[in-house]
Amino acid sequence: MATSILDLSAPKALDGADSDDLRLVESLRSGAAQAYEELLARFQQPVFTLALRLLDDPSESADVVQEVFLKVFRNIGAFRGQSSLKTWIYRITVNEAHNARRWFFRHRRKEVELDSEPDEARNWKEVIPDGCLSPFDAAFEREQHMMIEAALAKLSPIFREAVVLRDIADMSYEEIAEVLAVSLGTVKSRILRGREALRAELAGSLQDRLAPRLVPKTAE
Amino acid sequence: MSCENAQELISLLLDGRLPAEEGENVVAHAGICRECGTQLAALQTQRVLLRKMAQAPVPDSLAARLSVLASHERDRRLSRASLRQRVRRMTSNLDLAFQNLMRPVALPITGGLCSTLLLFGLMVPSLSFSHPTGGYDFRTAPQGSLVATPWDLGADDDAKDFPVFASPGETKSDYVNIVNLTIDESGRVADWSVVRGQLTDEMKDIIMFSRFEPATFWGTPTSGTIQVWQGLPPCKYAHCSATVRG
Repeated sequence: MATSILDLSAPKALDGADSDDLRLVESLRSGAAQAYEELLARFQQPVFTLALRLLDDPSESADVVQEVFLKVFRNIGAFRGQSSLKTWIYRITVNEAHNARRWFFRHRRKEVELDSEPDEARNWKEVIPDGCLSPFDAAFEREQHMMIEAALAKLSPIFREAVVLRDIADMSYEEIAEVLAVSLGTVKSRILRGREALRAELAGSLQDRLAPRLVPKTAE
Repeated sequence: MSCENAQELISLLLDGRLPAEEGENVVAHAGICRECGTQLAALQTQRVLLRKMAQAPVPDSLAARLSVLASHERDRRLSRASLRQRVRRMTSNLDLAFQNLMRPVALPITGGLCSTLLLFGLMVPSLSFSHPTGGYDFRTAPQGSLVATPWDLGADDDAKDFPVFASPGETKSDYVNIVNLTIDESGRVADWSVVRGQLTDEMKDIIMFSRFEPATFWGTPTSGTIQVWQGLPPCKYAHCSATVRG
């Protein structure tokens, strides 16, 4: 499993776009309706998740996702297949999120938030808790997510991008290096420091709830 | 291994990017060092929690906006397509429209056609058609022909007074000997009767050894009647034709 501490499997190799990507790209270029639907089906959820974790603002993330797909549709002719379609789209997403964050800090910080309750803007499917979880578990999980989101929001954008791409988007180091346009060593460093920073942020807020899980076995 | 080194490697260990031996060293160190063990467990738990956040539900409003966006961009791309692409696109649309049109009616049409053919095939035998042949409706191939005669065995054609075959309805008063032959379904002579004159040796040979192609009724061989005439100056056997009338 990817979560095992002894996950020593070899890292995934990067070999550009596969035949499935190239077929999809070709269909998009020819204007096939099915290709547009397939692209959205494959990428709208992961791209939204990535944008949401990078920005921590659902409405801003939705705008970013729309901008990402607009760029993808308009620039699909420029896609040469030197990287995978996923990497290419994620790179656009990271760049768009970066732009949105800069714009946010320049303009939106001065605005007054009218929509004080985020749940009001969400539909009933998102508000109603999952029936598989008990109310306690659902509340506990939701609180955990809120804490992690809050901790992520406090991270430097550079480290945050690396941690999100690695631990949430489950991308390999090579893919992250391609998305962020940095070297592999930089990726390793950013992930290490980002995880440490996140752990430090979470240490206080999760201490009470996660303390039993964080206690290691006593040394023999 | 120092704690500083171990803590730098823990992150790579979690991602499976350490060689096996080095990874085991880090795990071993974390087992005996409380601080590094805590860090390893904390990062592992943190990673599990982050993984749970990998499936943020896409708001319906965003999904709808993306669908509209995709539709607009597709139209925009098609409007800027080359003539060849447009023609291919139109052909594809026409093909799709035709298929959509035909699919709902293809099965009923096929079923109706098959049913019609089946019913028509069942009704044909009970239908009756009137032919100008009068009473010989459905009697086929009245013109038969000899299959074998006794003179095929090297007889001298010119020296013989060969019999002539004719339909029973024909009348030729010149001939001295006339015999009616009844031909069965297998083309053999089943019965005979002398109409005029006498039964000559040649006629006996015909009765005994000749074979005919029988008449048919609805395609089934049936019995018929033929007359044999003899008594005029010799005729050529080649001119003789047999008519089998049922």
